[in-house]
Amino acid sequence: MDGMAVRLHGVGKRYTHFALAGVDLDVARGRALGVVGQNGAGKSTLLRIVMGLVRADAGAVEVLGRAMPAEERAIKREVGFVSEDMALYRGATLRWHMELVRSFYPGWDEAHAAALLDRFELREDQKMGGMSRGQQVKAMLLLALARRPELLVLDEPTAGLDPLVRLDVLRELSAARGDRRTVIFSSHRGDDVAGLADDVAFIHAGRLIGRGSASAFAGGGRSIEEAFVEVVRGSAVGRAA
Amino acid sequence: MNARAVSLLVAKDCSLLRLPLVLYTAAAIVAVALAAAGPATRSIGVTLAINVMIGLSFHVTMGPVLGERERRTLPFVMSLPVAPRDVAVAKLLSSYIMFLVPGTVAATALVFLSPVDVLAAMASDGRSLLSHLIGWGLYFALVLGAWALVFSVVLAAAIVSESLGWTIAVITALMFVVGNGLLQVAPHVRWMVGYVRELGRDGPALPITIGVEAAGVAAIVAVMLWLQGRKTSFV
Repeated sequence: MDGMAVRLHGVGKRYTHFALAGVDLDVARGRALGVVGQNGAGKSTLLRIVMGLVRADAGAVEVLGRAMPAEERAIKREVGFVSEDMALYRGATLRWHMELVRSFYPGWDEAHAAALLDRFELREDQKMGGMSRGQQVKAMLLLALARRPELLVLDEPTAGLDPLVRLDVLRELSAARGDRRTVIFSSHRGDDVAGLADDVAFIHAGRLIGRGSASAFAGGGRSIEEAFVEVVRGSAVGRAA
Repeated sequence: MNARAVSLLVAKDCSLLRLPLVLYTAAAIVAVALAAAGPATRSIGVTLAINVMIGLSFHVTMGPVLGERERRTLPFVMSLPVAPRDVAVAKLLSSYIMFLVPGTVAATALVFLSPVDVLAAMASDGRSLLSHLIGWGLYFALVLGAWALVFSVVLAAAIVSESLGWTIAVITALMFVVGNGLLQVAPHVRWMVGYVRELGRDGPALPITIGVEAAGVAAIVAVMLWLQGRKTSFV
């Protein structure tokens, strides 16, 4: 097993009006990668390909040393996934969801789940339909973290959250980075990325246009957003030339 | 396919729909009671039984099958350690299982559609209890097998397309083809009339028909799994 949690080589996915093209990306174990881009740039498609929710048309995908999608069950046993456009069953309680996830994951950590319930101020007997958006995101995070995943894949985890809940979520994600856990998350909020990520990947119009350490991009008083705009402009100039 | 993952997903769907299932079963029991009570309530009971079977079929298709994408719970399910094939097989199995109890009870009410007083005939023909039980078993296999054949087409369309529009199109086409076939065409085709009569006798027609129904369901499942294997997006 090498030191890479995720390896993408020449990955592409074509839709009618959008294409993700030729993505080469390695994420080392224990690192946190923030994927930054505008809405519709291809961030979600990229993360879905990593999770096996969408099959790539081209290229090779390797997650935790295994080929996706050929070994997707084994991979998903080690991965926690939370997405902005994911929901839990409205008519079922959080406890019901915890039992469901626990039945799939032998490594489910009930003590950690109880600690997260406490920290997130969630009630396990509450139905998801009665929870606010922020509570639902926290519940999804709880379900992902209590399975003690080696890799966390988070698609816009803080989108649409009020500032207090957003800070709670970011604090927990920061804590979750312990134990050499790898995190890949997408966001169009530069401050979230700057606070969490070791490395940053910029995606624009379906192409990976920049990759480097978060500190290098955000250094010298420059924000991640400003770095992104510069890279996008540079990429446009490069293409025009 | 992973049997454990499939069984956990089936248990999930059955758990989510347990209250409607109890209500459908209760309605089916009422239907049998009404159908058996006498000529005055027979048609009400039979109509209620048919409504239970149709309503339950729609409920299962629209809820656990098509509802996953609409309610955005599909990414959650697919993020569990399962493969798309596990999810498709689990949807099919859970749909059959959820139909089984209320569907079987409702099918009992349909027996009272017969011009023969079935219960009186059973009491007077002198056959053993085992023989009657086998007879009932074959009846349920025939009726539920026919239902499973038609319902499998609808379920396969729903699972593969994940589209309400396509599923309704398939239901409409089936209603047109099967409805016309049964009500308009079959009564005028001599061999079909004879064949239906043979189903009530001790000949080979009944086991052949049940076998054809089972083979039809297996073929539909195989086609569904093949189409599912060609899909590239599961959210």
